[in-house]
Amino acid sequence: MAKQKLIDAYRGKRTDTPPWVPYAGVHCAFLINEPADKMLKDPELLAKGVVNAAKRYKADGIPLVFDLSVEANSVGCDLKWWPDNVPSVTTHPCSDKTPADAGLKLPTKESGRWPVLYEAARIARPQLDELDCCLMGLFCGPLTLGAHLAGVRIFTDVYKHKEFAAEVCKFAGEIGARAAEFYVEMGCDIIANVDPVASQIRPETFREYVTPNCQASTKIINDSGTTSSFFICGDATKVMVEVCKVGTHGFAIDEQMNMNFIRDLARKYKVGFGGNLKLTLALSLGLLSPREDAIVSIAAGGHEGYTFAPG
Amino acid sequence: MADKLNIDVVTLDSVQCAACGYMMESIAALPTDVQDMIEYTEWSIKNKDGIGKFMELSVKVLPTICIERDCVFESIIPQYEELIDEMAKRALSDDMRDRIQSLRDHGFDFDKIQENLARAGAGAHTRTDSEVKK
Repeated sequence: MAKQKLIDAYRGKRTDTPPWVPYAGVHCAFLINEPADKMLKDPELLAKGVVNAAKRYKADGIPLVFDLSVEANSVGCDLKWWPDNVPSVTTHPCSDKTPADAGLKLPTKESGRWPVLYEAARIARPQLDELDCCLMGLFCGPLTLGAHLAGVRIFTDVYKHKEFAAEVCKFAGEIGARAAEFYVEMGCDIIANVDPVASQIRPETFREYVTPNCQASTKIINDSGTTSSFFICGDATKVMVEVCKVGTHGFAIDEQMNMNFIRDLARKYKVGFGGNLKLTLALSLGLLSPREDAIVSIAAGGHEGYTFAPG
Repeated sequence: MADKLNIDVVTLDSVQCAACGYMMESIAALPTDVQDMIEYTEWSIKNKDGIGKFMELSVKVLPTICIERDCVFESIIPQYEELIDEMAKRALSDDMRDRIQSLRDHGFDFDKIQENLARAGAGAHTRTDSEVKK
């Protein structure tokens, strides 16, 4: 377990061997035989689950939570809880009005589940330090949070009602900046802006709504000396150049991306990159050998700015 | 002959994956008059039935919306009008096509999303041992 090696890789530097991050998420709950919803609401269980997973997988870094409903919930979106999954957002306060008209306010440390995360980080951080494992803070990116706030209409609004979409995504970016501040204060070593739905739009839409609304959060992270990253899911091929230019020290992608393409792009833009052990085909379904798949990923990723991680 | 337009949404898992969730919501938020004309299902590839559907429909990327077995929206969350146009193209009758097209200016309707998602089995079959009864 090696914190500095992971930070170096996330910043695009050379490492002797690739560091490793399991995005354990609610799998942490499974490992300690607790339901996901119970763990996510209980700071002691959350800390226990995260530290246990870090030990079990000999992680160089581990997210405190991988739950993109935290920010939305902290400004008033309702959730549906699942015993074996992350919560889903069930209401969209901006489905027919702007954030200002809906009376939404930026979250404080007391909003929603932020107190749970602060307390869990306080418990987990010294234990992870002892293991030489980075604590990672993950927050919801502007387009995904925009979708949580306004619902699926945001993907029509980015073309048809640009002023409305811009207002929603700007507010989402401001919430992201608050989340970044909170994670800096919790003492996270790496903070990632996670915007999975940003893969489902065109590059020009990414430039218009995602890039500008990542700048405030990225500045907060980078100015604090913390390492920043941008996580994207799905087939993000069409927006990968934009991802490289978003301003974070690096990025991470999922199993649908070609690792050779990603490696070459990351090196061109001198940023770190992470991925992409096949979460579904290998780890979940066993259709591919996880061992062989890991070898393929590691061989493609190499030793320069690469972090081995599930995709 | 079926009397409803068939839509298959092939996902990783609409609860865990936000893109998959909003692909499902794009269908669940269609107005009630459209809901009456369609039948849709989430196929998570975390289970065997989902993998079977993935292969059967020759899906290439996740998430994908298939309308009447055509992979129409591949890793692009559709705009409302795009959805209406693609459904109208594949309508099962002239009458259905006209009814769908008449709703082109209606826009998404968020009132019954949760009810509609439940009807489509969204998030209910995401374990490796889940079965999608269809």
